[in-house]
Amino acid sequence: MRIVIAEDNVLLREGLVLLLTSDGHEVVAVADSGPDVLPALLEHRPDAAVLDVRLPPGFRDEGLRAAVEARKQLPGLPLLVLSQYVEETYAAELLAGGAGGVGYLLKDRVSRVDEFLDALARVAAGGTALDPEVVSQLMTARRDPLRALTPREREVLGLMAQGLDNATIATTLVITERSVSKHIGAVFAKLGLPPSDSGHRRVLAVLAYLNS
Amino acid sequence: MNEATRRGTEALRRSGDATRYLVGGLGTGLPALLAIGPVLVFLALLAFTLPWLPDAVKPLRALAGMERRRAARRLGREIPEPYGTADVKPEDARRLLRSPALWRDVAWTLAHGFTALVAAVLAVGLWPAIPFSFSLPLWWWAAPEGSQSAFVTLDSWPKALTLPFLQVALDAFLLLWLVPRLARWQALLAEALLRPTRRTSLTERVEQLTETRAGALEAHGAELRRIERDLHDGTQAQLVAAALRLGLADRRFDADPDAARALFLEARDGVEEALTDLRTVIRGIYPPILSDRGLAGAVRALAAGRPIPVETDLTDARAPAAVEAAAYFVVAEALTNVAKHSGASRAWVTVRRDGALLRIVVRDDGKGGADAGRGSGLAGIRRRVAALDGATRVDSPDGGGTTLEVDLPCGS
Repeated sequence: MRIVIAEDNVLLREGLVLLLTSDGHEVVAVADSGPDVLPALLEHRPDAAVLDVRLPPGFRDEGLRAAVEARKQLPGLPLLVLSQYVEETYAAELLAGGAGGVGYLLKDRVSRVDEFLDALARVAAGGTALDPEVVSQLMTARRDPLRALTPREREVLGLMAQGLDNATIATTLVITERSVSKHIGAVFAKLGLPPSDSGHRRVLAVLAYLNS
Repeated sequence: MNEATRRGTEALRRSGDATRYLVGGLGTGLPALLAIGPVLVFLALLAFTLPWLPDAVKPLRALAGMERRRAARRLGREIPEPYGTADVKPEDARRLLRSPALWRDVAWTLAHGFTALVAAVLAVGLWPAIPFSFSLPLWWWAAPEGSQSAFVTLDSWPKALTLPFLQVALDAFLLLWLVPRLARWQALLAEALLRPTRRTSLTERVEQLTETRAGALEAHGAELRRIERDLHDGTQAQLVAAALRLGLADRRFDADPDAARALFLEARDGVEEALTDLRTVIRGIYPPILSDRGLAGAVRALAAGRPIPVETDLTDARAPAAVEAAAYFVVAEALTNVAKHSGASRAWVTVRRDGALLRIVVRDDGKGGADAGRGSGLAGIRRRVAALDGATRVDSPDGGGTTLEVDLPCGS
């Protein structure tokens, strides 16, 4: 994959480049400040971009704003946003467009190299990757509507909201794929959502419901 | 009753009230009169009597207190006490000497002691003087040497038939015009001398500020110690343990790659835990979303992540970082309270800049009955707000919803 990285911390940037190139990807551009992000993305039109939320000069949410703007100009551009902390508002903003190919992860997750690369691949393929912490924040905040769910169904919903597909959920929970789809069916029924197949649409449906 | 009669009775009633007030003035006036001698002697011999000053002040203050309350009722406005603290300790003698309140109490004692009796006698004496004057024509001729008026000798019928009426007119004028004013002057005298001077009010304000500042410094100190402890016992220790495992893994790498690998993974877990702790600490110091989105954005995000609908009315005005952090904390804590205890179905959050104040209002339609004494959440809010010299008001009638109002000074 051709990848653009936006990260101002030199050590982390070099680490990301090393990690991605060692996995066989090509880092076509790196940006180290907010205003550089959009031009780099527009020029290279990469297969995926990894962006930090806080970037110079303001160290506020330049990265996130650049990401939202880039998606406006290049619809469907796969973006994986990394942050030092999770904020469900940001996740909602990224997902607001409605299309897939978006990820929002804690920076810590980079240390789980396989999971990180997996999330990036999912995003590049048009899927969704949400940090488990964002999901748990959403779940805590919206406990009431979820009261009807069984603990197992809640678990499945959580993994589903992170962007995992049925097969992965089945492996994670050590159950059959058939029971996963049965749980998902029950969740959709209890939350009053029409069933659908593709990963990111499921996440969006869940998020849309949770944020309503 | 025609207009003139009504006004006449009204004037008489006022005069009667004033007379009663002036007679009541004897209650403090006579003790004050009796006190003048001892007070002057005490002050003249101050070099010797100083150690007894704190004891001597108490009855003086009690007397002044009675008059303060009496005058306050008459004037219809409160007269606050000028004394910093209620009880006086023996070692305070020298401090007392320098306090303006003491000298003003003494001045009032002298002034009131000399005037109260005169005023009361005058007011009371004017009432029987009227029938007395009217009765003069009936019996002046019988009196020896024919002289029974206050100023003039009555010794002929023409005088006896005119002078009493002049006298009644003067009497009535004094009763209706002077007596109410006397009462008012007495009350104003008490107010002028017994209320705190501008300087004492300022002193009190400074004392209060010193106190809240001390509270703020203490809260700040406790906060620093907490952060230090969290970083030292949590994050730092975890990182040391992780580094230790990496060192061990390095030593074992050639001999036992599997054990080394397990150590690497343990080290990674340790680092991840340390990062989680670090995030919590950072959030406690200054919520990152505040610097990203400002107060309005941060509060909007707080409101969005709630199980019940929260309506917001926010202005984008910025405030100093400490004030914004406190405001964020107040709204977060208040909304948590609403979710946990109120049973409300809706909540409203208003944050606006009102001149030098940042005003926060969090309202819900829950069951009310919130008690600042019980809930640790409200107590935390109060403490945090007081540390910034702000004000917290809670209105929570049973069954009537809860309104929390917080004013935070922005210092500009």
